[in-house]
Amino acid sequence: MIDVLALVAVRSGTRILDGVSLGVPEGSVTTLVGPSGSGKSTLLRCLNGLEPFSGGSVTIAGHRLAAGPQPPGALERLRRDVGMVFQQFNLFPHLTVIDNVTLGPRVLGRRPADEVRAAALVLLDRVGMGRFAAARPATLSGGQQQRVAIARALAMGPRVMLFDEPTSALDPRMSAEVLDVIVELARGGQTMVVVTHDHGFARRAATQVVELASGRVQRTGTAEAILGAAG
Amino acid sequence: MRPPRPARRILARALLGAAALLPPAHAADLDAVRARGSLVWAADQEGGGPHVYADPDDPARLRGFEVELAALVAAELGVEPRFQQGQWDRLPLLLGRSADCVINGFESTPERQRDWRCSRPYYAYALQLVARRDVALDSVEGLAGEGPAGPWRVGVLTGSAAEIEMRRRGDLRVEVVGFDGTVDCLEQVRSRVIDAALMDDCIAWFNADRFPELRCVGRPFAGGTYVILTAPDTPALGAAIDDALGRLVADGRLEALYDRWDMAGRQQMLLLRDAAEVPPAPRSGLAELMRSTLPLLLRSAGMTILLSCAAFPLAVVLGLSVAVGRLHGPAWLRPALTLYVEVLRGTPLLLQLYAIFYLLPKVGLALPALAAAILGLALNYSAYESEIYRAGLKAVPPGQLEAALALGMSKWQALRHVVVPQAVRIVMPPVTSDFIALFKDTSVCSAITVVELTKRYSVLALSSGRIAELAVVTALLYLAMSWPLSLLSRWFEQRLENPAGRDRP
Repeated sequence: MIDVLALVAVRSGTRILDGVSLGVPEGSVTTLVGPSGSGKSTLLRCLNGLEPFSGGSVTIAGHRLAAGPQPPGALERLRRDVGMVFQQFNLFPHLTVIDNVTLGPRVLGRRPADEVRAAALVLLDRVGMGRFAAARPATLSGGQQQRVAIARALAMGPRVMLFDEPTSALDPRMSAEVLDVIVELARGGQTMVVVTHDHGFARRAATQVVELASGRVQRTGTAEAILGAAG
Repeated sequence: MRPPRPARRILARALLGAAALLPPAHAADLDAVRARGSLVWAADQEGGGPHVYADPDDPARLRGFEVELAALVAAELGVEPRFQQGQWDRLPLLLGRSADCVINGFESTPERQRDWRCSRPYYAYALQLVARRDVALDSVEGLAGEGPAGPWRVGVLTGSAAEIEMRRRGDLRVEVVGFDGTVDCLEQVRSRVIDAALMDDCIAWFNADRFPELRCVGRPFAGGTYVILTAPDTPALGAAIDDALGRLVADGRLEALYDRWDMAGRQQMLLLRDAAEVPPAPRSGLAELMRSTLPLLLRSAGMTILLSCAAFPLAVVLGLSVAVGRLHGPAWLRPALTLYVEVLRGTPLLLQLYAIFYLLPKVGLALPALAAAILGLALNYSAYESEIYRAGLKAVPPGQLEAALALGMSKWQALRHVVVPQAVRIVMPPVTSDFIALFKDTSVCSAITVVELTKRYSVLALSSGRIAELAVVTALLYLAMSWPLSLLSRWFEQRLENPAGRDRP
């Protein structure tokens, strides 16, 4: 589903990614771990073209990205098949919860409005936020906002989901409620790449763990192999 | 309740203005003028020749038959003449403050006879209609028929006898357009923005060579006389000016002056000898004043609202487009937009209005005054709006744009659906307060012949002499219009501080 080949990204003279290669099979859950500054987030953001790279290539959900400027419309087509969830949620504060979830399909899809809305309500129920459809993001807790953000990304029907430290801005109780949703998605067969410091999640759901250090892949393996036994 | 700040500012400004317009308690009478050694005479160079105008060969020098008349009168009083510039329709308000007398083609009218001291007449005028040679019009009565496009658009000097005559004539199908200067007015006739102009005969003669495309239509009609105005409480000065004029007539110096200016000295002397006296107008009560002026003031308030409500949405749309272009547009566009903003912010609105109204016709784009005013206001304010929106767009966190892009939106879709709606909400309070500013700036449009509330007030205050009463009424009208805007602005501010739990904006 994802093939990263010899990816190189340079920011102000520093090689943030220094020849990273990795493969993500369909239906698998890959967690990216490593110390701060190891390049995990940059790697994730290169996967949907939010950040440019200067060497190597990315193939994701049937779309291929090469270094340099992309042809017009290519990134938009890719991103419709690749959902992303951010550390800071980034919900649209001027829209209600349901409008946050339906905005993408309304702007980009061709389905009738009531169908889009019904699908969004199903997704909100799935993340346990159905009751809050009419609420504004500012009235929700961080955990609730992040669950809406997941529903928003899912509304585009992505083939791959990218999570950029989805629980780092949350306290442990709220982290748990968000992680439960992500684990549930993983069990449903959603292909996903998750950048996280939460080793508990990696042990619960990861098919493979990729450890980065200084912009290179240090180790790849199962959670037990990379992170050791729980405890 | 305490009126919100902008409204209070308008009221205070109007009251201050009204106080400044009131005649002062003590004016300089003849003794003071002699002691000072100079007679300060007020006129408006912008009114143009042959009265008072800047010498084309040496713009620092004043020329005109009234410049020479002022010198003769001052010499008769044994003092030096000193010129004081002022806006024509407000010249009498300078009397006793910065001027001893007004010598600038002021016609003897019943209202002026009542409110000021008018000298004996020094010139007998009649009104002359002027039009392009290719316009089918052979007499004033021709204005009763169909104009080239609807009613005849006839230019006049604001507040002049020509304006009063045109507005008085119910038998003509005319739309009266007021100007501050004759040359501007004739330029607009030449460029077909208006169809004809009505002015004092001597002005038409003076400009005949300068505008060869124009011709005098029919004979001069509806005459009257020019008088020198002094303040009512300087009777000795007034009497001395009368005596001086009497001597100038008796010894032939005035006749010689008019002959030098090709103004038919012999005919002038005969007309002045037999000029009829103008009786002073009775002073009307407040109820009568309101009955005659309020409908006109209300109609002009409508023009103020029309200008604001048409110009501001345009300014907002333009400003927002410029702001988006400067932040997210292609690299080649950004310097051009920056230049646009700097030029429009860095030059006065008045000059921009002049450029649109007087210069565009020269390149074949003649806009009606109302359209020119709306365009000018919209362009000028779009520069300010764009700066506000730029700040608003920058205040939206970058994560918002990223989240929209990550859904698969193009940059323009993301801006339209996610970033711009948030920026618009953020800038609502400053934008509303700019609306109030624009609302007041509409008064500048009177410079290009649009009669809005402030202009109407000036004209009415001058013609009726009821400066203070009308100032209060006008201020109240402004307040009644701007207060709801202030309330709206505060409502937006409150919504912004407490955005939760409400429906869509």
